Formats: sequence, structure tokens, C-alpha cells
Amino acid sequence: MTPREGTSRLLREIRSLQVVVFHPEDHDGQELLAQLQRIGCQAKAFWPPLEKLPPDTDLVFFSIQPEILSIDLPWLSRADSPPVVPVVAYENPVIVEAVLKLNAFAVITSPVKSFGVLTSILVAVNQAERARDRENYIGRLERRLAALRKVNKAKAILMNTRGLSEEEAYKAIRDQAMSKRVTAEEIADAVIRANELLGLDSKA
Amino acid sequence: MSKTSNEPIRVGMLFSQTGVTSNIENSERLGTLLAVDEVNAAGGINGRELQLVSYDPQSRPSTYSALASELILEDRVKIILGCYMSSTRKAVIPLVERWNGLLLYPTLYEGFEFSKNVIYTGAAPNQNSVQLAQFMMREYGSRVFMVGSEYVYPYESNRIMTDLLVEHGGERVAEIYLPLDASWESYITVAKKIKAANPDFVFSTVVGDGTALLHRAYAQVKLDPSTTPIASLTTCEAEVRQMGVDIAEGHITSAPYFQSVDNDTNRRCVQNFKARFGDDQVTNMCWEAAYFQTHLLANAMRQTNTDNVSALLEVLPGLEFPAPQGRVKIDEHNHHTYLTPRIGRVNSKGQFDILEEADRWVRPDPYLVSHTLQDWSAKPQLKSPEEP
Repeated sequence: MTPREGTSRLLREIRSLQVVVFHPEDHDGQELLAQLQRIGCQAKAFWPPLEKLPPDTDLVFFSIQPEILSIDLPWLSRADSPPVVPVVAYENPVIVEAVLKLNAFAVITSPVKSFGVLTSILVAVNQAERARDRENYIGRLERRLAALRKVNKAKAILMNTRGLSEEEAYKAIRDQAMSKRVTAEEIADAVIRANELLGLDSKA
Repeated sequence: MSKTSNEPIRVGMLFSQTGVTSNIENSERLGTLLAVDEVNAAGGINGRELQLVSYDPQSRPSTYSALASELILEDRVKIILGCYMSSTRKAVIPLVERWNGLLLYPTLYEGFEFSKNVIYTGAAPNQNSVQLAQFMMREYGSRVFMVGSEYVYPYESNRIMTDLLVEHGGERVAEIYLPLDASWESYITVAKKIKAANPDFVFSTVVGDGTALLHRAYAQVKLDPSTTPIASLTTCEAEVRQMGVDIAEGHITSAPYFQSVDNDTNRRCVQNFKARFGDDQVTNMCWEAAYFQTHLLANAMRQTNTDNVSALLEVLPGLEFPAPQGRVKIDEHNHHTYLTPRIGRVNSKGQFDILEEADRWVRPDPYLVSHTLQDWSAKPQLKSPEEP
């Protein structure tokens, strides 16, 4: 074990987590809610599941009952949905399919025990944060790739129409961007549009 | 329990009489025996004698597990008083959960646990660690050397201590773990490292026989407790007696009970204990929890007139008792116990001078991740000098 430098942010902030429990008010539901209260999360419980999530929900515990399989919940599986921890009482394919659809990172099983709830919370929230970070990172990469493609295209246009070298073409775009205080992508866009409009890029 | 019988009510007891933690566990056993004697002298459980079925689990988790099975399945005893190290408690819990038994656990531990089949009567970190960190940083400084035995309690206790240090600009000089059966030479090596690092104090989570070795090594390399004391959550009168006063004096412990607690209940208890087990006996925090949890159990049995675990679990949460440390209460929601934090320093008689104590009990909060020194509920009150 390597020495630690203080406890992680996620653990430290566990008492500020807004947790919603969609579970019938039976023994499992009561045990789950009581354990969340011992841990100190801000927990609210509802059954049947709400159509709309309370604002600022960080995590949802969701009892997978056969009768809810057909219910369509608009807040589920959206890009900004909070992570869902299914509470499962069955392990048959129908239920497992439902769990897979929830894109769950952690599962707790019936009968619900106090032990394991804390770890489920942290795994689910941590993995959801990482997934969100990855999505954001991929988004940034995609935008950069698109920008790069445009700049390359604009460079080719300048090289063709002005007889510039690749380096000179790039410098021309960059200098324009700097002097107009816009991105190289925007200059590239303008070059491409002008070219399409005026047909500068003649085949001659 | 059949309604008509006058036969004894039997309760299991698992405290090690051999192995690395037998010294302190034996003390927990004696605390339990004293309470059972008192219960029976007062008419037992509504006329029925309270009897103990006791085994020696040898300070080993596997033996704990085997003996808990034997108690439940062979002896038909579902209630167990016992366990010291967390590893041994973890070995017993699956069994009491499976058979709907009940474990009463009289030892401080690192928190982050709740079982409906366990009652925890030792301190949670918010009842001893925070108070210790606050006291030590104020009195000695915040460069801390951590040394512990290699199991779960020291790792988690050091996490809490590290957080409190980091929050106050302190520094963890080192964090070292030794096997439970580490040799004298390894303690000497650690003591030399401490001397070289010259910290403001040492936070020790060494348990069992290693405690005496650490203190002996500390004295051997001439580290001075008056400037650089060892601070602990576990080193109590039992360890002090085991190691000898000469190497224990001046070191500091945070606990809800010391033998020196000054009130009538405690004086009477200590007197009874010495009369029953000998004048050379000492009490301590684990002894006291073992003692009062047995009385709490007996009171719950009298109230429900049964040893049925489900019925007892209806009344134990919320139950109060005038313990030697002052009034205690089992929390309704987390099954841990409201206790009164204290800071003590070993004096020349092998007893603790109580330097600080909370002015009221502190609610147990076993799932608290981030402790803060500003927490008013954890703040002990400085004892005024004219108090004895």
C-alpha cells in the first residue's frame, strides 16, 4: 500500500451527495434508506419512480421490479443522467437485460444489507465521473480534429491559389487569426467559404 | 426461553486467553465476568441465572469463526460477547448475521460498519481520534510519526489522522506498519527512525504485545515522552501494567474511560472488581465497555423477559446505562454508543491523569469520513485545575 496524501474528494464529499431511491417501502427499501442515512447522504425515497428527477440529483438507486420494465422514464440514459445503481431481486435474463440498459457501474442485491452500500455509491459516482470526463475529452478531441481538417483544407487552397509553401500557408492563416483575434479554425472557415463562393481554387 | 423454566440463560463469550492480544482480551473477559456476577447477585434475569459459555479464540480470526459457529450451532447460544481486533469481529459477523444472532463488541475500532446483529460499545473515531489529534497538535505540534500494526484499524486510523494534519498544515513524517508478531529488533529499528526524524509526537496504532515492545524500544534509544510522547487510542492500563510503569509514564491516550475517572459508580465498580479478582487488577476502556455492555444486555433481557435476539434488538437501541465513565446510550440508528471522550497521560503509578474530558457524551458517527477539529460536539472541555 502506498502512503496517502489525504482522503479523496469523492469520499470527503459523500455527505453532500443528493441520492434518490426509487424502491417500494418494504424491508429492502427501509434498510437501504437507513444505511444511506447512517452514511450521511441526502437521501429521498419514492415509489413508483418519478417521471422527473429532483434537481441536482447525484445518484439514483433503482429497484428493478418486473412491472417497471415497460415504464418509459425520460430522465434515464441521457448524456447528463446521474448514475443509477440497480437493486435486483432476480437474476433472470429479463432483469439482467434491464440492468444492462441502465448502464450501471454497481449493483446491490436483495436482501439489502448495510455492508456494500457505501462501496456501491463510490464506485458508481466515481465511474460516472470518469465516463463524463472521457466523454468531454472525446468531444474536445473531435472538435480539434475537425478544426485541423479545416485548417488543412484551407492550407491546400492557399497553396494552390497563391503558390505558397505549406509552411507559408499555415503562417498566413495563423497571422490572420492573431491579428483578427479569432481562431485559426475561423480563418480556415473563411478561406474555404471564399473559395467555394469565388471559385478561386481553379483547376487551371 | 420457555416461559415456565427456571433454567439458566446462557450467553457466549469469545475473548482470547492466548495469542498476541490476550492481555487486553483477558481484561475484557474479566469485565464481563464481574458484570455477570453483579447481574446474578441482583437476582439474575427475572430469577434466572445468567451463565457464560466461554472459549479461547487464540487471537486468531479463523478460530473466532470456528468457535462462533460452535456456540451458535452446537451450544445453541445466539448471543456472543467478544472480539478485540477488527479482523476477529469481521470473522464473527457473517455467522451472527446468518443465524440472526447478536454480537456485543466492547472495543474501539475504525468505524464504517453497521450490522443489525451487532452492538458496538467501544469508541468510534469521532469519539477518540479527533480529540487526540486536537490535543496533540495544540500541545506538542503537528509533525507526526505514525507507526502501527499491520491490519485494517491502523490504516484507517492513520487516514483520519493524516486528514486532520493536512487540514492544519501539519506533516506526516513517516507511516510505518509492523506485523502483529514483529520482533524486538524491528521495534528498535523503528525507534531509531523516530529518533532520527525527531517528530513532535508519535501516533501509535500498534496493538497487542507489540505495544510493550514499542515503548521499551522507545526508552532504549532514549526518546523522551515529556517532549515527544507516543499518542494512542488503545494503550491503556492493561498495557501499562504489562510493560511496566517505567517505560509507560508520560505517554498519552484518548479513551472514554480510565480507571482514574472520578465518580461513585466507577469507585464502586473498581472496588468490586479488586475484591473479586485481586488487588493488583487494573481496569481500562475495554474492560469498562465489556462490563457495561453485559449490564445493558441483562437489562434488555429483563425488560423483554427473553433471550430472543429479535426481541432484544427491539429494546437495545436507545437503551441507557449509568456506566463507570458516566451515562452511556446505544444509538437507535447505528448501534454504536454515546460515550464521553477523555485524554489521559500515564503517571508514575501506572494510572492516567485525566487532562481533558468532554462535558457531555458524544453521539457516535461511524460513517463520518471528514473529521474536523472545529466540530463543537467533539471538543473536550479543559478540566479546571482545582478538580482532582
